[in-house]
Amino acid sequence: MKLRIAAVSLLLICAGCTSMGVQPWEREILAKEEMQLTVDPLEAATDDHIYFSKEASSGGRGFGGGGCGCN
Amino acid sequence: MAVGLAAAGVDVTRMKAPTRKNDRSISATLAAATCALLGTTVAAPVDAQEEPKWDFNTSLLYYGEDEGRVQDASFKSIIRRLFADDRTLSIGLTVDTLTGATPSGAIRQDGPQSFTRPSGSSSYTEPGGKLPLDDTFRDTRLAITAGWQQPAGEKGLLSAGVSVSKEYDYLHTGVNASYAHDFNNRNTTLSAGFAFANDSIEPVGGAPIPFTNMLDVGDTSNRVGDQDKDVLDIVFGVSQVVSKNLLIQANYSLSQSDGYLNNPYKVLSLVDGVSGDTLPRTPGPNGGPSGQFLFESRPDERTQHSLYTQAKYYMNGKVLDASYRYMTDDWEIDSHTLDVRYRVPIGESSYVEPHLRYYTQSEAEFYRLSLDSSAALPAYASSDYRLGNFDGITAGLKYGWKTRNDNDMSLRVEWYQQAGTVPTGQIVGNQASRDNYPDLNALIVQFSYRFSR
Repeated sequence: MKLRIAAVSLLLICAGCTSMGVQPWEREILAKEEMQLTVDPLEAATDDHIYFSKEASSGGRGFGGGGCGCN
Repeated sequence: MAVGLAAAGVDVTRMKAPTRKNDRSISATLAAATCALLGTTVAAPVDAQEEPKWDFNTSLLYYGEDEGRVQDASFKSIIRRLFADDRTLSIGLTVDTLTGATPSGAIRQDGPQSFTRPSGSSSYTEPGGKLPLDDTFRDTRLAITAGWQQPAGEKGLLSAGVSVSKEYDYLHTGVNASYAHDFNNRNTTLSAGFAFANDSIEPVGGAPIPFTNMLDVGDTSNRVGDQDKDVLDIVFGVSQVVSKNLLIQANYSLSQSDGYLNNPYKVLSLVDGVSGDTLPRTPGPNGGPSGQFLFESRPDERTQHSLYTQAKYYMNGKVLDASYRYMTDDWEIDSHTLDVRYRVPIGESSYVEPHLRYYTQSEAEFYRLSLDSSAALPAYASSDYRLGNFDGITAGLKYGWKTRNDNDMSLRVEWYQQAGTVPTGQIVGNQASRDNYPDLNALIVQFSYRFSR
């Protein structure tokens, strides 16, 4: 049941998505380095590591981090 | 041309930041496309053969907590080798040097308290009124990651990687893989990935049996051998180009941990049910604990769900990057994280970026400030402040600039502050007049340098 709800929601989201977006020649801004989802991978990794060590939540952006005995 | 444009579009919706090479090829392709559409001709990109093949990202980090708590000096580097057909190899290296003290989990007392060090070979004493800190927190961590990324068909991207990290008392090994697929003229990207880790914990002096007492110096009768845990992470994501200047992303992640999830160095004070003071104990001849301190006990399973959303919005050169994460788990911790960065260009080649982050979490169902000796022991208990109820605020500023040879440098300075509260129902007797939660203030300074060859 949960799977079906998830599948239907995903379809709805995707259907909604088809009406959004840009043409290939309209990507000048989106292609800029500062418009990437992760601009600075080292800074992102550093933050993930700090907050993994100091808080009870981790990940979200990508995998849960960890790999250390700091928690 | 259509294929070239499509390929150029790939990076826009990828989670990984593109390299400057891709940036250039995107602008080159875009220029070519525009000309093609306008019916004009364009010469092949002049710098096609000079495109960098290597991308070096390096940073130095200082992280320091006040009152002599944790200090971390860290070197991080990611080196990427770019091959033909958009295939990329990345190697990451991290070296951390940790020193300082960390809360032991015991509560404050009016008089001095003594404790056996985790190694079991010596003891230390904390003055009355002071939050007990374990001052033997010293470690060096070496972490290495390797990742490979390549297109899979015209619209797919496959990534796979391995990770290893080693500390004195900890070994991590992990593998991960993910696949992303573009739809709708590359305006929508769906992705799915997993990461599996097998970690082994080799506590100094051996892992203590949960809920046993901290023992005298030299007594290791409650210590057992090495422990391990497995962590499986699964992430599903969708990113969507909304308009020429708006990109959004949503991820759902599931994280399942099994095995030894205790912190082998944390204890709880066993207290009198009326006064709230730690039950006294006579230390042995070679030293030992002055009170009754029980090693913590956590469940051996944890399932976390999180929902992460992010938006990037471009406004006349300025970029707003906002994200929100909700996390809930079966330890009954709920958390909310709001993160906002605003990048403002200064002239042609530099920028400033203020950063604000707000975090709040509720305590784990088994979080306890102390254990009441007049009641039965609960199934699980931990006084680790990171499992408590607290808010965290980060405020920072980053300055980035391009050097004369077109390399990127940046410096950021941030303050991180945690303030927590112990649920009132857990406070017994004299504890009401003491400061029970170990608040935290930390300074983060990071210098980064990036160049391509």
